[in-house]
Amino acid sequence: MTLFRTRPLLKLVSQYQSAVVLPAATKIHTSAFLQAWKPEDHEPQKFLEYNKKIYPPQSPDEAPRPAFVCHQRSNIKYSPWKMWYIACLVRGMTVDEAIKQLKFVLMKGAKDVRETIEEARDLAVKEHNVEFASNLWVAESFVGKGHVVKGIRRHGRARFGRVEYFHCHYFVRLEEGKPPKHYYQHHPKEPHQQLEDWLQQMRKRKITNSI
Amino acid sequence: MALRIANLLGPRLLNEPLVALTVSRSHDQFVRHRHTKHWNPKWKTLRRQKVMRVKLPNFQEKPEDLSEEEIRSRLKEQGILPPRPWNEKPFFLSCTGGIFEAYVPPEGDGKISPIQVQGAKQKLQYLEKKSRTMMAIRKIKSFEEEFDTATFCKEAEDIYVKMHDLMAKRDLENMTDYVTERAYPEVIHNIENKTIHWKLIKNIELPRVVHARCTDVITKENIFGQTTVRFHTQQMLAVYDRFGRLMHGSEIIAKDVLEYVVFERHLANLYGKWRVHGKIIPDWLPPKEPSLITYLKPAEETSTTETAVTKTSPDTEQEIPKESNT
Repeated sequence: MTLFRTRPLLKLVSQYQSAVVLPAATKIHTSAFLQAWKPEDHEPQKFLEYNKKIYPPQSPDEAPRPAFVCHQRSNIKYSPWKMWYIACLVRGMTVDEAIKQLKFVLMKGAKDVRETIEEARDLAVKEHNVEFASNLWVAESFVGKGHVVKGIRRHGRARFGRVEYFHCHYFVRLEEGKPPKHYYQHHPKEPHQQLEDWLQQMRKRKITNSI
Repeated sequence: MALRIANLLGPRLLNEPLVALTVSRSHDQFVRHRHTKHWNPKWKTLRRQKVMRVKLPNFQEKPEDLSEEEIRSRLKEQGILPPRPWNEKPFFLSCTGGIFEAYVPPEGDGKISPIQVQGAKQKLQYLEKKSRTMMAIRKIKSFEEEFDTATFCKEAEDIYVKMHDLMAKRDLENMTDYVTERAYPEVIHNIENKTIHWKLIKNIELPRVVHARCTDVITKENIFGQTTVRFHTQQMLAVYDRFGRLMHGSEIIAKDVLEYVVFERHLANLYGKWRVHGKIIPDWLPPKEPSLITYLKPAEETSTTETAVTKTSPDTEQEIPKESNT
């Protein structure tokens, strides 16, 4: 039994056809119908919509809004649960530091993450009016589950098991400026802040039924 | 065993200092040990046959990168015939591909005041000796009876202003009514990811037609007319990037702009309209205002290293009005 792969071929076949769907025709159908004729374009699109948002002009006295760029790479042949570790490593780092660290991470997904961050950095300078490529930090870095191909394998005593070949999507958002000192909310507090918190707690106490 | 090692090392033992034969612990972390290998390779083939081999699609490759032979071999593998290309889509030429016989603006134009002798001479010379321009205008009049350069200048100004207003509003649907298909991609590229505030304050000099030409495309009757109109205006331009930060120009400072805008009309078409087709940017105009941010100069072909950061402006964008000092 050979697995008939027609769907990937539709993509190749479309290259032979130079006749393209006319712009007027696409206005009749909704995107759901169109997606049926492009089965391979199941790449996530919502994250990249953030790149299209145009903010209103700022007045000169306002603090300048930091630039950001959203980028992704879809269907990387790597497990999303393993990729999560690499995504977590990079969060809150400057792009240079992130790329430097990823060069020495001994995991298959690190290569794709590094390439995605480099692409995002180039996009930021080219299209989003970022002045210095090094002045960027990783604001968001997360993973999503992608295409899953199922196979089977035989176990002892004629038992069968399912083999899943996972793909993942990697999303990254780079922001202009210096990274914050602590990326996560629950970071260890400074001694003076701890003291103030303790004092507040102590002063909040009340003797019940007192005046 | 010590004797065997000594024999292997040979006479070198006598010459070089004795090297430590124990492995230092600090190198352990750079050596990786695989845990996916069974200790008994005898059953390897059978173990391999237990798992069904699945061919995974390569999502990182794009159909554009594949060569024709590659596609052909893949279709053959699956036993599918290549689809028949239906190239019967009709297309309509609504504009020419460029500016034919472009106007060459005289140097020093816009710098001499019309009150002086030289300026007055220039003014007279505008449409006098331009025989080909006059012939072209006559040809345009044969299609459009009420064509008059004076009224056309006013229309041209209206189209010019409307085009810039649509650019500021990012109205792409109505853009093709005022801009030809040849200029359209340049206009779109200039408004991409930006907010533009533009205003025409006044005309320093009235717009005037300086050049006109007609050509035919494919057939002798299919005639397109192009006219170049000289605009000397005072404009306000402020360009903000995607995040609302000022990228170019200013909201309060007005600039004097000298431009030569080419308009085109499909004369053979009854419903043809005069639309902006392009701009002529002479070399002698003063350079554009430098950009507010620094950028890396693109590496030249001869040298591989990138040159230092410079504060000069990038390549001129066609449709954004240039500022000139007059």
